[in-house]
Amino acid sequence: MKKIFKRMHAFLLAVTVLFSLVACGREDVENPDNSGSSVSDGSGQGQQESFTYNTALADFPTNWSPFQNQTATDAEILNYITEGFYVFDYNETEDGYRLVPGAAAAEPEDVTADYVGRFGIEKGETARAWKITLRKDLMWEDGVSITAQDYVKSAQLLLAPKAQNHRADSLYSGNLSIVNAQEYLYQGQYAFTDIVSANPEPEEYIAMSRITVSEEGTLTVQGKDIALNIYSCGRWDEDRGMDAYYKANKELFVKDGKDLYTELFTPLADAKGYVRLTEEILEGLKHVIAGLKGYEDVEEYEKKEGSYGLVEWQEFCFLGQNYPEISFDQVGVTALSDTELVLILKKPLDGFYLLYALTDSWLVDQDLYLSCASEVNGVYTNSYGTSAETTISYGPYTLEFFQPDKQYVLKRNENFHGVKEGYYETTTWQVDCVSEPSTRLEMFLNGQLDTYELAAEDMETYATSDHTYYTTSDSTFFVALNPDMDALVAAQKALGNNYNKTILTVKEFRQALSFALDRSAFALAALPTCNPAFGVYSNLIVSDPETGETYRSTESAKWVLARFWGVSDDIGTGKMYETVDDAVANITGYNLEMARQLFQEAYEIAIADELMDENDVVEIKIGLPNSTSQAYAKGYEFLVNCYTEAVKGTPLEGRLSFSKDDTLGNGFANALRSNRVDMLFLVGWTGSALDPYSLMEAYTTSDYQYNPSWDTSKEMVTINIDGTDYTASVLDWTYCMGGEEIVITAKGGGARTFRAGVNDHVDEIRLQILTALENAVLSTYDLIPLVDDSTAALKGMQVQYYTEEYIFGVGRGGLKYMTYQYSDEEWEEFVAQKGGSLIYR
Amino acid sequence: MIRYVLRRIVLMFFVLFVILTICFVLVKLLPVVDAQQFGKDMNLILQRREALGYNKPILVQYGIFLKKSVFGGDWGISEALYRGQDVWTIFVSKIPATLLVNLYSMLFSVPLGLILGIYAALKKNKWQDYTISTVVMVFISVPSYVYALLVQYVLCFQLKLFPLQMKSGTDWFSWEMFLSVIPPCLSLGFSSVASLARYTRAELAEVLTSDFMLLAKAKGLTRTQATMRHALRNSMVPVFPIILGNFVGILSGSLIIEKIFGIPGVGQLYVNSITALDYNFFMLLSAFYTLVGLVSGIVVDISYGLIDPRIRMGER
Repeated sequence: MKKIFKRMHAFLLAVTVLFSLVACGREDVENPDNSGSSVSDGSGQGQQESFTYNTALADFPTNWSPFQNQTATDAEILNYITEGFYVFDYNETEDGYRLVPGAAAAEPEDVTADYVGRFGIEKGETARAWKITLRKDLMWEDGVSITAQDYVKSAQLLLAPKAQNHRADSLYSGNLSIVNAQEYLYQGQYAFTDIVSANPEPEEYIAMSRITVSEEGTLTVQGKDIALNIYSCGRWDEDRGMDAYYKANKELFVKDGKDLYTELFTPLADAKGYVRLTEEILEGLKHVIAGLKGYEDVEEYEKKEGSYGLVEWQEFCFLGQNYPEISFDQVGVTALSDTELVLILKKPLDGFYLLYALTDSWLVDQDLYLSCASEVNGVYTNSYGTSAETTISYGPYTLEFFQPDKQYVLKRNENFHGVKEGYYETTTWQVDCVSEPSTRLEMFLNGQLDTYELAAEDMETYATSDHTYYTTSDSTFFVALNPDMDALVAAQKALGNNYNKTILTVKEFRQALSFALDRSAFALAALPTCNPAFGVYSNLIVSDPETGETYRSTESAKWVLARFWGVSDDIGTGKMYETVDDAVANITGYNLEMARQLFQEAYEIAIADELMDENDVVEIKIGLPNSTSQAYAKGYEFLVNCYTEAVKGTPLEGRLSFSKDDTLGNGFANALRSNRVDMLFLVGWTGSALDPYSLMEAYTTSDYQYNPSWDTSKEMVTINIDGTDYTASVLDWTYCMGGEEIVITAKGGGARTFRAGVNDHVDEIRLQILTALENAVLSTYDLIPLVDDSTAALKGMQVQYYTEEYIFGVGRGGLKYMTYQYSDEEWEEFVAQKGGSLIYR
Repeated sequence: MIRYVLRRIVLMFFVLFVILTICFVLVKLLPVVDAQQFGKDMNLILQRREALGYNKPILVQYGIFLKKSVFGGDWGISEALYRGQDVWTIFVSKIPATLLVNLYSMLFSVPLGLILGIYAALKKNKWQDYTISTVVMVFISVPSYVYALLVQYVLCFQLKLFPLQMKSGTDWFSWEMFLSVIPPCLSLGFSSVASLARYTRAELAEVLTSDFMLLAKAKGLTRTQATMRHALRNSMVPVFPIILGNFVGILSGSLIIEKIFGIPGVGQLYVNSITALDYNFFMLLSAFYTLVGLVSGIVVDISYGLIDPRIRMGER
């Protein structure tokens, strides 16, 4: 028996070891960086010098497929293995940017006239169809030519309905909206469209006589379901749903003692929030609309609104239908020849923004893409762009090696036209995943990395080093607050008695939090390279991309800051500030006295409104992605100390407490929207440095707002245009800047139609709207500007930047222009001569 | 004994089933992050969720999970962490690095820990014992990431004896790879050395004063013979399960050590899968770690009987 046990034990151990060996038994892959310091020139005529650019990332890319990539880290690889139709380059004087042809051979040609009568293009229209002529030497890394047909096929793959590609919307949302791209993607599916758009009849609304009741008791039109949606109010307000209206006006949803939202609408909603209409639900909906419009009841509403009152409910509703099958020929991407590609757009686009929209590319290698596809139980998956084997390049570099969460190596693509033209001295770019900043610094000092981004604690040593380069970014970081009453009530209830959160709904409290914030001190403590921020946009945001004029340098943008921070009355001859520039330059945003006064006022309001009791402790939960990042850890500490100090001498002294959730990870920005925390900091939007007009949507539409409870459809803003005051909602002004027509009645009467989109050539009005909206966003105090992003990095001695100054779009020349003072071999010798450690102080 | 083992195995699968059920239900009850994400075409997100079956009742989803993953071996595709990639493939590609570092670490720490423990026991209450005990206390009290940073700074950065980061590639048994994993092995090994030395010393010191040791010496065995043949084997009863436990624990990896030395292992996967709500990854890792824990429990229990024949399990 003893032997049996011994054998069994031995067997179990052997199985465990075997498992380990099996797991280790994959084919060994040698890292190509060990291949020596010379590379073959491809001609077989010997070796040429190698120049390796070594960098490190804290987070690693996981999916760089043009159809699926998600993060900026993913784009790190994508940017170098692809090429847009147009690319940023230095202007002629090398002090600014310009867009030049990349994959394209020349500027795009307006061929709208050739498509009149097709794709919904009418005679006289322009800038709707563009012909892009491709370079003749455009090719994949293996030398196979790329044709216009490849772009068409790639678009078809991107929009393939079964693939549900995350990036499919790049062909139908935003400025570059291709005709029928969305329709092709949704084809064959049962989907809901707002009822007014879906009405097949020429009339705007469906006649009541055509609406029938099905056997199940639901309302239908020609067999199509009519439904309302909990999360969207269709034509009435596509960005807000019944849930938002319910949160804001619960009393409007009560009819005969019944809560329509919780007892009638939501119990019948499907997973996507659609509720099939019955006669009872329709009556309920009308009751809500009547309430929203300020009527006593439905009877009064229908009487006063007339025939409109009978059909207005349709603006809230959707018609469920199958999207018809359409062929790809109807999508506005077509090839005229091997080198001629035509894009047909839903709405006109030209000039800088057309080229800018074409800096991205959706091209994939069809054969490789299809070989990466799999479909199991109806779930389509594609692994294109997830490893070196599933990646093919047509950009300046090829992906030679990729090990998840460890290292990737890019090699110069000798078939790339830019390489043939003599650019890109870097032969290899090796990127390691190094999470710890201290390790990155040690590697840099050992000559293993060519750049190192300085952390707060490094600034004392390296701030004034000749090797330190400062780079201003277009991002502004904010403190975001959650003033959603329902969410705060629920959160404070969960905490127990004597805790309060609802004081956050009091504007004076949020204002106090803003004035109590010493932004310069915050930057010094948490992000020493950053500058204090006072507006929604940083100094780098360009309002006129044609001239490069920045938004903050415009007079109206300066006055927004001056007025918002209360210094506008001090500007003028003999006053505190001679000019508005002087005033803006002296804004600090920090006024402890005023902050304390506002804390006092907020407390009194909260007590008077019975939001809190005198014994309550205010508890604010701050969300952090993690606690390992110095910026967040130190930032949190700073905020807690700063606010604890600020409430001294007010009734909130000793009764303002903070807690943190530092487990939120990369998606921490969503935590405020999902009411998991009450405050975030160092959050904001980036990636639209040349289009602040579109970027404003991030702050004023509920899809993007950090605080979606701010109802921008009700917040009114008055703008004086041509001497007349026009008042419209924040949301309407936003849509107006996006190119939609809005009709506004002036204060003194008389309506005027506005449209201030990118192609409407009303730049002055656009800027006026933008400044007014910036002021509206700031005035909510639920998004408090904190710091403008800026970074500092050490540059290694091996490499040389093309320009010392950082220029938007081209940086300091990037890999295209970067040169080397030492080859890899020389560099190794140089580092060894210095004893293996380099001094960069 | 066989009946005992079989019963434990049956119970193990029952416990595994219960734990997996709880994990599945709990993770599905978490809020859907996608629905609150910024600026995405919600229709696409909802369609994808529909296709993945996430809108079905949880019980139905669980049934599918059992059939497809537990019995079918298809653990699905990552929807968040490694979008579009097979979770099993990713997991298997990352476990060798974790195993390698931890195996080397054990190879270094087990013999050293035992030797120090035995030596300290034999030199009980002498300066050698005090020195070892003091060092052991330091090793136990200080967390491993502190050693990691020290080892990295002194041995790798200042003295340049080893690379700062683990070597890339999958040539696990190359000399360069071996050199590059020495720093993490040292960092991981210190606490194992300390705990083993402490247990061994305590157990051996006690056994050495037992009556049967007196008898052994009385019948003519030398001190070495008595210690090797009788004392050591007896003192290993509580120590051996610790070694086995450490061996099983190596599969889970070390989050901090992996981060500091750039080890592309599984240490961070579990936490990340929860934060990112990557259901398939989470369930695979839950199943794996639960199974490893349960199997190790059985193996440890059986090992008692093998080390000490007096211990008989499941027998009346």
